[in-house]
Formats: sequence, structure tokens, C-alpha cells
Amino acid sequence: MRRSTAAAVGTLTGAALIIGVRLSVTPPEAPVVAAPVGNLADATPAPKPSSKKPAASGDKEGDKEKAPEKEEEAAKPKSGLKDGVFKGNAAANPYGKIQVTIKVEGGEITDAAATYPTANDSATINPPAIAALKQSTLDAQNADVSAVSGATYTSESYVKSLQAALDAAKA
Amino acid sequence: MGTTVSIELGEDRPDDELRRLIADVCDWLHEVDARFSTYKADSEVSRFARGELRIDDASADLRHVLEASADLWRDTDGYFDVYASGPVDPSGYVKGWSVEVAAARLLAAGSHDHYINAGGDIRMRGNHPDGGPWRVGIRHPWEADKVSWVLALHDGAVATSGTYERGDHIFNPRTGRPAQGLRSVTVVGPDLSIADAYATAALAMGEAGIAWLAKRAVDGYDSAVVTDDGRAFSSANLPAAV
Repeated sequence: MRRSTAAAVGTLTGAALIIGVRLSVTPPEAPVVAAPVGNLADATPAPKPSSKKPAASGDKEGDKEKAPEKEEEAAKPKSGLKDGVFKGNAAANPYGKIQVTIKVEGGEITDAAATYPTANDSATINPPAIAALKQSTLDAQNADVSAVSGATYTSESYVKSLQAALDAAKA
Repeated sequence: MGTTVSIELGEDRPDDELRRLIADVCDWLHEVDARFSTYKADSEVSRFARGELRIDDASADLRHVLEASADLWRDTDGYFDVYASGPVDPSGYVKGWSVEVAAARLLAAGSHDHYINAGGDIRMRGNHPDGGPWRVGIRHPWEADKVSWVLALHDGAVATSGTYERGDHIFNPRTGRPAQGLRSVTVVGPDLSIADAYATAALAMGEAGIAWLAKRAVDGYDSAVVTDDGRAFSSANLPAAV
């Protein structure tokens, strides 16, 4: 029973890494789940999915203290997940270690978070990997170029394209 | 495949040699069209799609195309999908790949300075005839005679996918509906077939494609994106001309 629960949570942990985090690393092959830990640590919590449980107050300290009382809820057949906060084993990848933490309330995963390396070499490699594209103003220029990249044009629309004008100028 | 290919060779060589190089590229691209066009009922791809050709009997080129398409399906979380419209249609991979092969043939024949532009997807090497890098404009998504970025490259590929040219022809394979959110996606990187597939996949993802593209930069694929509402985004190492 314990092993199958661990396996189920392990799979879901992998899913949480893909859905909730989407860092540029391959998900760990089979993260092994450790015993419940107290809190979501200092990891940034992801937005909570709407939970139907009215009791979900979101108070981490409260959840921590209540955790033992939820043992019987864990037996609910719904998902087979035990309530609590679970940390996956840190998964190593070429850029450092990633560790995923999930929070289970009422048999449902209500929160997932991941840590990623911020120290040493990894810190210099990872920020570009997760950095967003920079926003800028959209230019409209008449530039001197050799070729133009654009969405696939048909033979008919090629005639009207900037590339056709360039080709005509060179011919 | 119903597209126009522009070829420019930058080297100072006798006219007949240059014409022979260009003729070789054209022969190859016509061969690819005959073998891989889904519009030709007797092409190898059409026979494979109808189940008349077993994978074991397919040419090494077709097997490569199918394997690479499967790899890209995984790399793009399923957003680059050669089965999206029903029977297999690897045209989205074949175009970039055939130009990659054509450019490699030019190199093997001794041409070190060239570009090939197939329907807006470009593979280039070496120098512009005047020296210096090739300057490639990215078409402005609303003004067909303007460019929104200018790139400067010696070696590499630039592929653009957009909704402005053929309307809603890119579908989100997850929803089956036309892709929404992004107007134009350009990917710059070492291999044109991959750059093209990434651009198509990101366009299909919609605005989530911006974050997905940001993660491709570590593998050497930079990008420039324009959203439906006219916001422009680019990765930090996009080789923009100064």
C-alpha cells in the first residue's frame, strides 16, 4: 500500500513538474517521494486550482498542525493520495538539481512548486533558460536586406512579396 | 509544394559554374517535390499515407523524415504534429529539411557563400557578396513591404510561421481549432528543419509559445514573436543587426 501510494505520487510529481513548472529540463525519470515534510518551505506557491473543499483555508501553518488528523481522509478512494506536503527527491540534470514539492489536501493536489539552482555556475546557466523573451516595440522599417523571412507564401503571393522585389532588383 | 525558392550565391566564380550549382539545387528540390508532395497521388509519401508502402520498404529519406518528425513531436510537447490533419503529412518538416540538404550539397560542391530562401524559410552560409554577414529581414506581420527586425548572420537558418499569409492554416492539435494569440513567430538557429518546426509549434501554442520559445534559447534557437495585438518579443541573443 505504501509503495503503490509512493508510486502514484511519484507519477503525479512528474506531472506537476511538467504542468506547473515547465523548466527547461527533462523531468526526473522516477522521483521517489520522501515522507511528508512540514511545509512548502520557501518555494513560491503556484496559483491554487479551485478546490471544492470548503475547509481549504490555505493557511500553511494550520495545515501543518492539522496534518495528522487527516490520516482517515487519506483512506478515501478518490485518488489514493495522502494529505500532506511531499517533496520529490532532488533530480540532477546538467544544470543543477530540481526538487518538486506538492501539497495534497482532501486527496487532491492543491499546490506544486519547484526549486531550481541559483548558486555558482548553475545560476549563470539557468536564468537564460527560464528567462522570458524581452518585450519591445514593433518596428516597421525599410531596411537594406538580402533576404526576407516570412510566413509561407504561395507562388501567387510571392509575386507581391518583398523577397520578389529583392530578386527582381538583383536579376 | 507550391512555393518559390530564391537562391543567391555569393562567390566570384564563372557564370556556368554558378548556373550548374543552382541547377543542381533545383533538380534536388523538384525531386523532393515528386517524392514528398502530398498533392501528388503517386508520391512516396502519398503511397505511404494510403498504406501501400510499408515503412521497411520506404526510402532512407522517408524513414529519416518520419523519425525526425516523431522526435520533433516529442520536443514540442505534441504541437508539431505531422498527423494533425489526419493522414500523415510531413510537409512541415520536408520543406526545411530539403533546403538544409540543398545547402549542404552547395557546400559539398565548393560553394561557401550562399543562401536559399524557400517560401520565407532561409538557410545561409558564409558572407554576403560585398563581404560581411547576410542581412535577413523579418517580414512585418501587417505591412508586407516592411520588415520588423533585421538579422545579421553568417551561418544559420531563419524560419517564420505566421497567420497573416494564409489565414487560419495552423491548428492547435490539442483543441483542433485554429491557433490564436500569435501573429508571427520567427526562429533562428543552426538547422532549418528544426527552426521551422519550432516556429510552427510555437504558433500553434498561442501565447504560451512565447515562454516555450524562451527555453529553446539554451539549445541555440533564438526567436522573435509578434502577438495578435501587436506586441513584439525577442530572445536576448537574437542576432539582430546593429
